[in-house]
Amino acid sequence: MQPTREGRASIVDLLDRVLDKGLILNADLIISLAGVPLIAVSLRAAIAGVETMARYGLMSALIEPSLRNKPS
Amino acid sequence: MNGGLYLYCVCRSTGKNPFEGKLQLKGLGGQEVSLIQDRDLVAIVQECAGPFSSQDPKQISEWVLTHQSVVDEAWKKYGNVIPFSFDTIIVPKEGCPAMENLIQWIRSEGTSLKEKLDRLEGKAEYGIQVSWDPKIVAPKVIRHDVEIQGLEDKIRSGGEGTAYLLDQKRQEVLRRRLEIAADAYFKEFYEKIRGVVEEVRVDKARKEEPPMLMNLSCLLPKIDSPRLGEELNRIGRIEGFFVRFTGPWPPYSFVNR
Repeated sequence: MQPTREGRASIVDLLDRVLDKGLILNADLIISLAGVPLIAVSLRAAIAGVETMARYGLMSALIEPSLRNKPS
Repeated sequence: MNGGLYLYCVCRSTGKNPFEGKLQLKGLGGQEVSLIQDRDLVAIVQECAGPFSSQDPKQISEWVLTHQSVVDEAWKKYGNVIPFSFDTIIVPKEGCPAMENLIQWIRSEGTSLKEKLDRLEGKAEYGIQVSWDPKIVAPKVIRHDVEIQGLEDKIRSGGEGTAYLLDQKRQEVLRRRLEIAADAYFKEFYEKIRGVVEEVRVDKARKEEPPMLMNLSCLLPKIDSPRLGEELNRIGRIEGFFVRFTGPWPPYSFVNR
């Protein structure tokens, strides 16, 4: 079995990683400019929609071409 | 610059970059992506006026894909990367511009960043999801189950009303048996996968059909991914189980420790 970065399941996997993971800075240098912590809330609220869209294939045109550039 | 710096990732410098350069790639909102080098570390950034916030899932997906394409480009160029979460923005503070704050942060965290880069050298993250169809797996789970067989015998011989109640009971026992089986399969697959990867994170199983039994993020040397693929083939060959294998991803799940 080969790992893939294409297809609907992969975009959900990518969203989970980019939105919820990655290095988190604890420095106070990274407050958002608007000072609004709502960003995380709005993203999480939207994610359910993204998953649903992905499941129904609405995003495939958007997703797949962009994921073809695999790192070497 | 008076605005913020959107931080994509940090890499180890190849020593060839100017102090501040540009990547041949557009970032979020079509902005230019820049390299900020301090000694042997490079931060990949872009200028921004504020956080990227939207209620529109399509817009967020586009941003996430752009974020990832920049991190991928850096990964390809430098071979190793510490990715940041979406919308990590360094801001100007107490009269200090964002760029200066960023450089100070890189200096203060330099040792820890380099330790992370050393630990991640040559490795990538892979997503593994195992789903199962309990309808297919159930007959195997209850094949020798005396309690369920006893209930089935009684259902066959009982009247309609009794049969209904007994069937409810049978379904409840079956549900419990499948829960126990799910735990056992999880442990079995986890151990198998654990044996061929370097690190594992257990993520929350997503709600989908067929039900997801496990959702893992694994870190391993890229050259070892065929071995993991073979192990996943073995799991995928078991009747009623389905495996998804995604990646290679930058090590998003393995940079916060």
